[in-house]
Amino acid sequence: MSTGAPPLSGPPKPQARALNCPKCGAAITLRSFGQAVTVVCSSCRCILDAKDPNLAILQQFEIKTSDVKPLIPLGTRGKLRGTDYEVTGFQRRSVMVDGITYYWHEYVLFNPYKGIRYLSEYNGHWNDISICKTLPSADGGGATYLGEAYKHFQSADANTDFVLGEFPWQVRVGEKAGVTDYVHPPRVLSSEKLEKEVTWSIGEYMYGREIWDSFKLPGDPPEAMGVYENQPSPVATNVTGMWVAFAAFAVFLLLLMGVFDMRAKKEPVLQQTYRFDRAEVKGEPSFVSDEFALTGRTSTVEVKTFAPVSNHWIYLNYALINQDTGQAWDFGREVSYYYGHDSDGSWTEGKQNDTVVIPSVPAGHYYLRIEPEADPSLPSIPYTVEIIRDVPVFGIYGIAFLALLVPVVIICFRAYTFERSRWSESDHPPVQLSSGSGDDE
Amino acid sequence: MFRKLYLLYGALVLSTAAFGQYRGWSLDTVNQVKNVPKSVRDNPGSYRSVYGFYHHYTGGK
Repeated sequence: MSTGAPPLSGPPKPQARALNCPKCGAAITLRSFGQAVTVVCSSCRCILDAKDPNLAILQQFEIKTSDVKPLIPLGTRGKLRGTDYEVTGFQRRSVMVDGITYYWHEYVLFNPYKGIRYLSEYNGHWNDISICKTLPSADGGGATYLGEAYKHFQSADANTDFVLGEFPWQVRVGEKAGVTDYVHPPRVLSSEKLEKEVTWSIGEYMYGREIWDSFKLPGDPPEAMGVYENQPSPVATNVTGMWVAFAAFAVFLLLLMGVFDMRAKKEPVLQQTYRFDRAEVKGEPSFVSDEFALTGRTSTVEVKTFAPVSNHWIYLNYALINQDTGQAWDFGREVSYYYGHDSDGSWTEGKQNDTVVIPSVPAGHYYLRIEPEADPSLPSIPYTVEIIRDVPVFGIYGIAFLALLVPVVIICFRAYTFERSRWSESDHPPVQLSSGSGDDE
Repeated sequence: MFRKLYLLYGALVLSTAAFGQYRGWSLDTVNQVKNVPKSVRDNPGSYRSVYGFYHHYTGGK
């Protein structure tokens, strides 16, 4: 009787093959079928020949690293960048640099139709790795792959410390390979030389969270420590492009300054010389100027004061008052100028003129209330007050310039420190400043 | 992304500078007072400046 299911089409669905370890008899499941060259018995740590129907023992290694557990358990399935994969192998590898051993982990991923790819993990940094499809060209300082230039990062001898699961090559614990990495973040191009065979692979940086989401792993991925060789910079931007943009903005700012400077009316509306005479000021010293008109749009008003003070001061309480609306701008200005000689030589302080710019003054009829005060030792002094309508304020451009400059400097500094951290772990560390140990002898 | 953000930010800075210049912004501090009586024109002493109690610097090194 028919089940009603449509007949299967296409290639037959692969099935995992169950075998037993010839050494300990533990069950071994071959997941990657014909792709597996060696398989490791998880019970007795025997490396077996997966191509041999009897699973010949190739190597047995001591379990000195019983605490080595894959972060992604073997057999875990997930969708990595749109393709389903199953984790079929795991190995821990290490390099020794300056007497320090650095460990990283590699996972073998298998898809029956797409084949093998790899994940590597070092201190919470992950890479999605596949074998290069074409042969890169390399020299001492760099390599080129698919038209992209890679910088040499590090060369070292990598040791295989621990293996588990299936591998598409003759894996051995204790095997050493010469590994050279070239980087072009977020990619890393690696060559691995084992005797006369060189294997090139290309990796792309992945964040732990992406891996966890891909394989639906519980909990959180281990936190990434430090800066990895091909980790994308958090300020992944073209620093030169930022400076070009800044330069373009600076030019616009200059143009803006020129246009507003040309359009500013700079119209003198009052110029009057007064005299502060202590003998004449018996009661109220304040007085008002003649009325003057400020025309045009709401704009600036500049008030200039000149007084020929010499080792004295004069202070003027000003109020620019709109006769029509009663609105006033109240401000006080001091003009003082001192000079002399001392053991350091001659000195001066202050100046005989002062300028203030009153912001956003609308058109109307105005007068200036002036209330002068002066140094008690000064019996009489003239002073000139000049009022100019619609003057440009260049300080605004200065602030704008700084506002444009600061983000670029911050981004460049962050990019520089990140790259410095990256390359400090390479064979080409940036020049270190002297630590200044203070061994003064 | 930073560059796009910076381009937006820079355009905003330039626009603000241009607007400020057009509206007559200034970096100097002045005190605004409203409803000053018209009588101040004839009687300037009736107005009390907020800077009237300024402590003057007597200057010199």
